[in-house]
Amino acid sequence: MMEGPHRAGQAKPMIPPFSPVLLLGLALRPVRPALLQPVFDHMLKVVRSQHPDILERLEAYGERSVCIDPIDLPFALILEPDPVQPRLTVRRFVDADEVHATIRGPLETLIALAEGRMDGDALFFSRQLVVEGDTEVVVALRNAIDGAGIDLVADLTAALGPLAQPARRAAGAVLDLVSSLRGSVETVRQSFIAPALQGAASRDARLAELEAEIKALRKASRRGGPA
Amino acid sequence: MIRPELICPAGTPAALKSAVDAGADCVYVGFRDETNARNFPGLNFSRKELEEGIAYAHARGAKVLVAINTFPRAGHPQMWQSAVDDSARLGADAVILADIGLIDYAARTHPDLRLHLSVQAAASNPQAIGFYAERFGVKRVVLPRVLTVPEIAAINQAVAPVETEVFVFGGLCVMAEGRCALSSYATGQSPNMNGVCSPASHVRYVEAGGGITSQLAGFTINQFGLNEPAGYPTLCKGRFNANGKTSYLFEEPTSLNTLAMLPDLIKAGVAAFKIEGRQRGRAYVAAVVQAFRQGVDAVLEGRPLPDINLDSITEGGRQTTGAYEKAWR
Repeated sequence: MMEGPHRAGQAKPMIPPFSPVLLLGLALRPVRPALLQPVFDHMLKVVRSQHPDILERLEAYGERSVCIDPIDLPFALILEPDPVQPRLTVRRFVDADEVHATIRGPLETLIALAEGRMDGDALFFSRQLVVEGDTEVVVALRNAIDGAGIDLVADLTAALGPLAQPARRAAGAVLDLVSSLRGSVETVRQSFIAPALQGAASRDARLAELEAEIKALRKASRRGGPA
Repeated sequence: MIRPELICPAGTPAALKSAVDAGADCVYVGFRDETNARNFPGLNFSRKELEEGIAYAHARGAKVLVAINTFPRAGHPQMWQSAVDDSARLGADAVILADIGLIDYAARTHPDLRLHLSVQAAASNPQAIGFYAERFGVKRVVLPRVLTVPEIAAINQAVAPVETEVFVFGGLCVMAEGRCALSSYATGQSPNMNGVCSPASHVRYVEAGGGITSQLAGFTINQFGLNEPAGYPTLCKGRFNANGKTSYLFEEPTSLNTLAMLPDLIKAGVAAFKIEGRQRGRAYVAAVVQAFRQGVDAVLEGRPLPDINLDSITEGGRQTTGAYEKAWR
């Protein structure tokens, strides 16, 4: 089982980016995870039927559970990749010793990883993704999902038959809205941190002055001048 | 001027499609077992997936090479021989082999199957390459990543018409490939015999205070500070305490990138450019293959090299031209 003090869903060891997802997460705080469970049941059912090869690739790891922890949402998911009865459970908190491994990162990063739009190793190298516990099952899961060619919007709307196309258009409109919101949220973020940045800039300038003074004094000292 | 082939990695069928769609001339893959040097969890191809992958590639004018480049266990060559047989049966364009016994088996059993010599065989001089070509009919040799461009040019002159293939991007192995025992020392498993260097089953990452410690089989390999780019948890890329100093003793976490050197490598007579990374995702495959497709095409058409930034997918956020320039000599 996984070691470490973190409790997924609560004490997030990574600082989430200020984003529309973070705001959504704040809005979702009062929502009980049980109310969200049907959404994830449906998602697992759809992905399982569209991409049966994922569980096939994970066959050897069916008994190992993985916590997927979006750091900007107030809940986490537990994936149990049993080839016969897989489960994706949404939970407010996940204790470290409940699962074999944890993958932690911003929701948008986790979705990009699932859809193969970002490379898992690159995300790990750049520290945008944190892995804890049983690395083997995490690598297997990453490879299985990357190899499946998941497109969440296309997969989730595929079963809607004639409504699939309008549903995709609606999903596209929502994603466009989130994208435009990101710009506004960034403006708000800049506005919030502007005073702190100004303070830091003035401290940096003062530090540079002091460093220059120390350098000059040391130089003078070496030459035997006034220290 | 030779038109070098672009040889691209694929660990899954989806990555194979990404590589072909991005402009790969050839895609190299492995079976889902210890017959290849990327025997990672959840990775690689079943026989059926290889058959479908070959059909996809051939329909678009690309070739598929199968890496069977680990060394068979003593007395148990069947799994490796089956991999060769199935590659031939399914229509692979070549197999990439390292073990001399397996090469002999492939040459005798499938005389029409094109043979490439894996980098795992560590053939780095004309005499070694000549032996494999004359004795077994090996058509191409993947050169170890320890040669300079002038050394590669000299080898090409000496071994023609045998073709050479060199790595142009990705993970950089500084050891004598096929002979490195570092992973085996720590974990009991090696890329040479088991197809895994620093297997994930032996790797642990421990987060503390914003930093991260990577461990391999209980050995602390490295500690990365807050926001410091990380690397693979291999012993050769570990940061160790020696002589009172903490530093990288063998190699720093960095990726090979020879995009700017493509004109020199083409001039040196290299027949194929290999991109490392069957363990990487589709996003990596697509980005690197596109970049090198543009680069090779630009050189062949006499245009300036494209300025493409691949920093975001490199190990440790750093790039090097490695031994090709040997700036440390």
